[in-house]
Amino acid sequence: MSDSLSPLIHLIDDDAAVRDSLALLIGTVGLRVQPWANPQDFIKQFDRAGIGAIVLDVRMPGISGLTVLDKLVAEGVDQPVIMLTGHGTVDMCRRAFKSGAAEFLEKPVDDQALLDALQSAVQQHVKSRARNREDRDARERYAQLSEREREVLGLIVAGLTNKEIGRALDVSPRTVETHRANLFAKLDAESLAQLIRRYAALVEDGA
Amino acid sequence: MADRRTAGAVFVAGLALTAAGCIGLARIELNSLHDAFETDARIIHRLLSQRTAQQDAVMAMLALLQPGTDGSAAAPGPRITAVYPQIIEIQQRRENATWANEELQAGENESRRSNRAAIGGVDFDNGRYRMVQSALPASYAVQIDLRAMVPWEEWPMKPDASPVRVTLEHQDQRYIVQPGNETEGLWRFEFRKRLAADSQPFDVVATRSAGWSDLPWIKMLVWTAFVVITLGGLLALLRQRAERRRAEELLRLGQVARLNTLGELAAGMAHELNQPLTAILANTQAAKRLLDDDPPELDTARDAMARSVEQARRASDVVGRMRRVVERPEVGASLQVVNLHDTVNDALYLLEPECKRLGVQPAVSGSSILLKADPVALEQIIHNLLTNALQALAQVPPSERALTIAMQPEDTLGVLTISDSGPGIPVDVLPRIFEPFFTTRDGGLGLGLSLCESLAADMGGTLTATNAAQRGALFRLSLPLAEPA
Repeated sequence: MSDSLSPLIHLIDDDAAVRDSLALLIGTVGLRVQPWANPQDFIKQFDRAGIGAIVLDVRMPGISGLTVLDKLVAEGVDQPVIMLTGHGTVDMCRRAFKSGAAEFLEKPVDDQALLDALQSAVQQHVKSRARNREDRDARERYAQLSEREREVLGLIVAGLTNKEIGRALDVSPRTVETHRANLFAKLDAESLAQLIRRYAALVEDGA
Repeated sequence: MADRRTAGAVFVAGLALTAAGCIGLARIELNSLHDAFETDARIIHRLLSQRTAQQDAVMAMLALLQPGTDGSAAAPGPRITAVYPQIIEIQQRRENATWANEELQAGENESRRSNRAAIGGVDFDNGRYRMVQSALPASYAVQIDLRAMVPWEEWPMKPDASPVRVTLEHQDQRYIVQPGNETEGLWRFEFRKRLAADSQPFDVVATRSAGWSDLPWIKMLVWTAFVVITLGGLLALLRQRAERRRAEELLRLGQVARLNTLGELAAGMAHELNQPLTAILANTQAAKRLLDDDPPELDTARDAMARSVEQARRASDVVGRMRRVVERPEVGASLQVVNLHDTVNDALYLLEPECKRLGVQPAVSGSSILLKADPVALEQIIHNLLTNALQALAQVPPSERALTIAMQPEDTLGVLTISDSGPGIPVDVLPRIFEPFFTTRDGGLGLGLSLCESLAADMGGTLTATNAAQRGALFRLSLPLAEPA
């Protein structure tokens, strides 16, 4: 699984000298770089599952960087995209951000600006991937709950005590206590706060 | 295209004007010919009528001259024929005698019936006719010679030369009083009127034909020449205006084209230079980071430095290529003798509308000076300086606007000074005014004065800027004279 490896930066620029030098620069901070000379090849072949970011030149022959960006977004690619341009107009900049670019930098680009942008893009990507995984896990665990347990969870999230829940569901507080223990175990929650933070949204959705 | 259409329209208009004018002139001429003809014909009719009336009177008088009862015959003949030369013979018929022929007898009968003189035979072929007066006891007849009857001394025309044909007609006989010009013309005037005396019922017929030769050719020619000259002048004026407009358009287009080219060039240059600069920056910064590592990665850093050198060369190549593209054609090679005064006037002519708009009356002093220069470059410099001056003048109130242009030779140089009464050049701007891309105007490229200075230098001259002593900016262009004095 590519997740286990260090982040990979995809660098797309038709100019070999620019590509090589930026690859070298990015490499100095320990990020792996995959350079692409042809944007079409990149769209067809790059590893969408991997953690990382994309550095995209706006002015390329055949297909503009902005068009590439639109295609990636339409495909649901979640790697953050950093746009590079020779002479960016305000209009171009606005369009890039509207299309979902994470950053818009002008050439020649200062190393710190580029590397900072890349670091934060990678972090963002890692975080969003982790959040997505948590969401997925939470959903899977929630699916394991019985009907009664979901009711109890809903009332817990609503802030009711065991006694109040028992009264509401017309069961003894003891039974509520059992459901509650099962529920905590199934959802892998260690505290009430954690439980509410992770599952409140799901309860709302389920309601 | 529009020019050709205008010329066509003017040509058609000219044709129509010429035709209308000539037709009008011909009609006026024909009318006056007709009027003169009518007047002459009436005069002729009156004169001949007077003569016939006179003859009536003579006949009446003869009737009274009866021979005496003693048989002595009055002989009025010789006296009367002496007074009236047209009466060439007088006959008398005594009572009981008979006339020599039937015509005289018929005349006698008619005379008796109408109680006045009557025709007693017409012989127009020989230019004669007879009249009879019946009386008692003796009746008289006279023979009248038509040629002698015409009062030539009062005749309104020259009988031999006049184109008018005059005849006397009686029944089917015709006597030609004046032959006239019998050729058939395009136009024909006719006058026909019976003589006033009832006793001699002859028709006076006058005809005249007018042909091409009677038309007022000289007037028509003058008119045509007038139309041609006027319309030719108009056409020339239109063409001149169109040419001027075209020249202005070309100038404007040239400026736009230059700006477009410049914009394209700037965009291309930005991209072409940005790529190597990006590579250089990335390589050197990477190298710096590699050297900062512990231990430093010397080989990779060296490699990165070598690559930046390569990219710096690439950038320098781009600049070199760009220079070759925008390089001006060699001005120094096309030097020729140019009249500075004429060039200044040409430039002022182009800027005339602008001057008028601003209410500026340029004061030009100095006579013609022959320079060794490139005419196009010189005109460009002067045009640029004048445009700048006018822009400066636009910033002060109209009443304070003055533009002074002076030319004079100084040693081996011809010097042109252009000074305006505008706000002048700020002191901090003055040293940088000829720098490329330096401008104080919004949207200005800052290339105008820089180009002017380069052009002047290429022609072996100088261009300097100062502020005038009183107010405004003063530009001084010095160029070598064509023949050093």
